Amino acid sequence: MIEVQSLKKSFNDVVALAGIDFTARDGEVTGLIGPNGAGKTTALRIIYTVMKANSGSVLVDGFDTARQRLAVQRRIGVLPDGRGLYPRLTAREHIRYYGRLHGLAAADLEQRINTLCDILTMHEFIDRRAKGFSKGQTRKVTLARALVHEPHNLLLDEPTNGLDIASSRAVHGLIRSIRDQGRCVLFCSHIMSEVAAICDRIVVIAQGHIVASGTVPELMTQTGRENLEDVFLSLTGSTEWA
Amino acid sequence: MWQRVLIVFKKEVMDNARDRRSLLIALIYPLLGPLIMGLMIVAVGKATVSGGGQAMSLAVKGIENGPMLVDWLAQKGVEVVPAPADVEAAVKDGSVEVVLVIPAGFTTEMAAETTTRLTIVVNTSRLSGFVSVNRVASLLGVFNNEIWGQRIASRGVAFRALQPIEIDNINVTSGAQIADILLFMVPPLFIFNLFMGGVYLAIDTTSGERERGSLEPLLINPIERSALVFGKFLAALLYTGIAVVVQLLALKFAFHMAGGEGSNFTYTLGMRTILGIILVMLPLMMAAVAVQFIIATITRSFKEAQTYLGLLPLIPAIPGMVLVFAPVQANTWMMTIPTFSQTLLLGQILRGDTLVAAHVAISLLATLAFACALIAIAVRLYEREELIFGG
Repeated sequence: MIEVQSLKKSFNDVVALAGIDFTARDGEVTGLIGPNGAGKTTALRIIYTVMKANSGSVLVDGFDTARQRLAVQRRIGVLPDGRGLYPRLTAREHIRYYGRLHGLAAADLEQRINTLCDILTMHEFIDRRAKGFSKGQTRKVTLARALVHEPHNLLLDEPTNGLDIASSRAVHGLIRSIRDQGRCVLFCSHIMSEVAAICDRIVVIAQGHIVASGTVPELMTQTGRENLEDVFLSLTGSTEWA
Repeated sequence: MWQRVLIVFKKEVMDNARDRRSLLIALIYPLLGPLIMGLMIVAVGKATVSGGGQAMSLAVKGIENGPMLVDWLAQKGVEVVPAPADVEAAVKDGSVEVVLVIPAGFTTEMAAETTTRLTIVVNTSRLSGFVSVNRVASLLGVFNNEIWGQRIASRGVAFRALQPIEIDNINVTSGAQIADILLFMVPPLFIFNLFMGGVYLAIDTTSGERERGSLEPLLINPIERSALVFGKFLAALLYTGIAVVVQLLALKFAFHMAGGEGSNFTYTLGMRTILGIILVMLPLMMAAVAVQFIIATITRSFKEAQTYLGLLPLIPAIPGMVLVFAPVQANTWMMTIPTFSQTLLLGQILRGDTLVAAHVAISLLATLAFACALIAIAVRLYEREELIFGG
């Protein structure tokens, strides 16, 4: 479970987050949506510990991200905004490196790598070096290394961005199965059909504020619109290219 | 924590072992310096081996013009040979090092006790020519003095009274060993290499990691930032160490080759000396890697880091290059300066001088403290969030 309380963050004079509150519950997929520059990635970066908030707090399973960084890091799996691979390491070595940093023992680790290789269908390239991987292959490796320690909380920044339909569906299936295991998934996305398809709860963020949150039907009732794109536009106040 | 340091260390060592550029800098670059040095020592050795106390041969044009001078030269142990027809061409192409030209009127002018003019043709762009012309000129100086003395004496003046000083040359090195000067070139070369060996890995694991976008996910793993820095630092230190060892072995080989039969190059590099050098250099290697880390971390891109770090090795090598031309006596205060103290100590070790234990201790401790301060700064830099996102 991820609890965000009064989170504020500014870069010099620019306010990125003006005090946001929301909760991502266990057994649910929570979608963080908003226009470009709304503060989604900043919020996620603070939650996954690579940025410090100016004020406010984030608790992951009760651990404070600012004061108990390592404890939080053991409980999260992240597909961050930066998702580069090491061109000279194989897919397997990438997953192994992260597994080791999470303190997994060798036999257990190799078993998990094989399982992830099955789930994400990576057999074809698991022992190839990452240089020259396609976008889909790269995404699978970054997902696998985020999942290798079986984190209770999963944070995904635009997980299907740039993927073809088949790969996107595979990612959606993975997200649902993780939710069904009672784990917590928080992800942000631009793609409304994706959000509508897999999110149990939506948090809409615009210009550093939370402008609405709730289930998809709740938001439709609230705004009086019938599809999520219209809901999104009416909530964020952006009609055309604002 | 050390377990995680080891995980990062192993990953970086393996990753860079697969990189041709890292290996080139650690394994091949260090060979170039000793290779050039070895060739120079051999070349200089050959040029100066004739310059010692051995007999020398001198090409003379116009032997028939000055039998008196030719006889005198022969008495001094010079083997006089006739010069080739085209003197200047022969000297230019190096088939003759130096030619003495005796003019046609030499004998009559000597008899008339007037001034006569001798010409020495030499190509001083050749080291061997430079050595030879010195010997010929000093011999002719002696000849000049003798004739002058005879003429003065014939006028009833005591020659000795007019000669306040007489100069004896005593060269403290065993023979005219220009090769020894090359020994002074080893420290700057060595320091340069030391600052070069791990540089590629240092850039690749810091600004390279950021540029690839692999730093952000890495930092989300449960690992202390200091452990991350130490792991990467030790990997770069290992590559620096490899470069240093490769160069020392290459130098050992170069010295061995240069010190062959008939050579006056007498220095050798034993395994114990090599270990001593590595010990003296270890704190400096740490400081070098820490500097590389700091620069590569605060620069915005791989290319920017590469530009700065490509120039960096020149700076610590400067004192050593100055010492080639202006050697100094090592003092205690000099031992507190990183790179300078190592330059001096390395010079002493190579020349076989006795080291002052206090000097070694001060150099080790001062540079170690310097290195630790730099590492602390590098760790601090990794705590900043600007590290990941630049700026």
